[in-house]
Amino acid sequence: MGTQNIPSSVVQFALADKLINIGRANSFWPLTFGIACCAIEMMATGCARFDMSRFGAEVFRPSARQSDVLIVAGTITKKMMPGIKTLYDQMPEPKWVIALGNCAISGGPFAFDGQYSIVLGAHEFLPVDVYIPGCPPRPEALLQGIIELEHLVSDWKRWKNPEAA
Amino acid sequence: MICEKTKLALQSLFPEPKPEPVNIVEGASEVSEKKGKAPAPPRQDGLLERDYAIHGYHLDAQVSPDQLLKAVSILDAAQFFIESITGVDWINDNQLEVVYDFSRYDFDVCRVVIRTRIDRSNPVVPTITNIYDGANWHERETHDFFGIKFDGHPHLIPLLLPEDADFHPLLKDFKA
Amino acid sequence: MNSPIVLQPDETFILNVGPQHPATHGVLRVKMEMSGEYIVNAETVIGYIHRMHEKMGEVKTYPQFLMNLSRMDYLGALGYSHCHVLVVEKASGIEVPERAEYIRAITVELNRIASHLFWFGAFVMDLGGFSPLMYALQDREHILDMLEGVTGSRLTYCYYRFGGLYNDIDDDFISAARRFIPRMRKSLVKYRKLVTGNVIFRKRLEGIAPITSEMCRKYGATGAVARGSGINFDVRKNEPYSVYPEFDFDIPVYHECDSLARYMVRMDEIEQSLRIVEQGLDKLPGGPIMPDKKPKMIKPPVGDFYQAVETARGSFGVRLVSDGSKNPYRLKLRSPTYSNMHLFDEACRGMMIMDALAFMGSLDLVIPEIDR
Repeated sequence: MGTQNIPSSVVQFALADKLINIGRANSFWPLTFGIACCAIEMMATGCARFDMSRFGAEVFRPSARQSDVLIVAGTITKKMMPGIKTLYDQMPEPKWVIALGNCAISGGPFAFDGQYSIVLGAHEFLPVDVYIPGCPPRPEALLQGIIELEHLVSDWKRWKNPEAA
Repeated sequence: MICEKTKLALQSLFPEPKPEPVNIVEGASEVSEKKGKAPAPPRQDGLLERDYAIHGYHLDAQVSPDQLLKAVSILDAAQFFIESITGVDWINDNQLEVVYDFSRYDFDVCRVVIRTRIDRSNPVVPTITNIYDGANWHERETHDFFGIKFDGHPHLIPLLLPEDADFHPLLKDFKA
Repeated sequence: MNSPIVLQPDETFILNVGPQHPATHGVLRVKMEMSGEYIVNAETVIGYIHRMHEKMGEVKTYPQFLMNLSRMDYLGALGYSHCHVLVVEKASGIEVPERAEYIRAITVELNRIASHLFWFGAFVMDLGGFSPLMYALQDREHILDMLEGVTGSRLTYCYYRFGGLYNDIDDDFISAARRFIPRMRKSLVKYRKLVTGNVIFRKRLEGIAPITSEMCRKYGATGAVARGSGINFDVRKNEPYSVYPEFDFDIPVYHECDSLARYMVRMDEIEQSLRIVEQGLDKLPGGPIMPDKKPKMIKPPVGDFYQAVETARGSFGVRLVSDGSKNPYRLKLRSPTYSNMHLFDEACRGMMIMDALAFMGSLDLVIPEIDR
């Protein structure tokens, strides 16, 4: 969370901070913002078979004021970019960004010589925390991305690292 | 058969009966130039019948921009629906072509293509939004991509490109 | 029925149903001029997902363009790929083996069912009912499993090639499809009881947003929008292509012209697609899936060609202008949702905003297909 502007408290409560971070990690509330094909995989992840609600993230909030994860799912065009920046600015902190799919990472299959309409990746104007490649990525990949974000946010891991065990 | 009736109605737009053109090959100017032969002249106004099994449509009429509204009214009266409007950039002929596709809802299948060619330097074509409301968006999109101005269009602003866009991407000499 | 209250011009306000909205099914913006709850004027703004497919059609070669069609309408992707390969095959004179055509028809119909299921779940969610989305997507997952086993992808397939397919179907696919058909029929009964008979659902949709057939003709609306207004038009029957003449299926047409009619058309289409899949599996011939003689480099002759197919959303057409080289000179994609969406501006005048959003849902929009 290096890009967040969280004021440090005068008195540090290490245990409380740790618990709050674990709480944040286990209850991401994504913004309902599906742009293109990857949005369908995001909706499929929220549904019965893949079930994002096991990880606390199924509560999609339509309003940016109530959400804390912006999942950029789809190609970003130059026409849409100011809108996404506005949405990101409207989200209260702490907030994170997941770039879902090749288009949000680097323009994807629509980056060709002579292209005039898309932005080559969400990182051009947003601080992205997790990149999930794929076209579209499988729902399991999105779940893996959410777990990675959980690891970024708190020290608590869901399962032991296989190499370390 | 609606195809026959439409053909006769459209044929009336071209008063002098032209003989069947001998070497009409549309767009052949590109290929011929590459092979070093003299480029074939661009296609003249007229009505052609096409083989549906290969080309996918029945009638192909090339009209001049002032005959356009009459041709489209003939189709409107015969209950055709507007399928799409698009443009093609014939840069070697220095012309832009606007292609109108029409089709029918009933089982009397007849697909009609109406084309019109205009100068690339001053592309102005009358609008058909008074006849077919659906032409509104199609013409805006063609204007976006090729810069063709539709005379009389109620709201000719960019549709697919950003509102302040001033470039026309599908022209052959467009550089991003 | 709605009768708008006429207020003074300065008593209206502009409401922006913005690109980010849970009910717009993608990035669509509608600027609505409202007087209270009633819409006086609406202007649709599109282009927020304009991904330059037609430009890529000119820059890429024919085989390189195959992947673009799936990204246009990702829910019913196979129907779009089908149109593109058909037009190039028609232009170049490539013969397609019969087995390949049957497999194409079976997979297109399964994809159509998946698309309608997703539309159904999202539509009822827009109206406020969250449960059918779960059931519909669960059924859709079964179709996606079948198609993934054969094509390798869940959503954006690139399965058809010029001349046939690149991978044949196996016994797993056939047995899974045969198991799926009765299962889907039982699900349709469940949806009928859960949703179609629901009194709140019917009150939200009956009599709402009538679209006359004359309006459909002026805008070029096709698909379930036209069939819900009494127009008996389906490209599979009007201009048959591929092996559709071999199948025995009906076209559901409703004459009420309201949102409920469009909903019923799509639910009945699921049943008809199941019939086609059943007949396709019964009649599936053996043989190769690619022709013996195929040109090494796809270069259709000079000229322009058009092909239309019936996709989940309506009549999709590809207009190919070829100059004999390995790139198309112009590739125009005629998208059905583009013409269907256009009616929204005129048809929603005088409606309440909640009815307008239900209307938008009944049009079955996929925004990347509008913007291409």
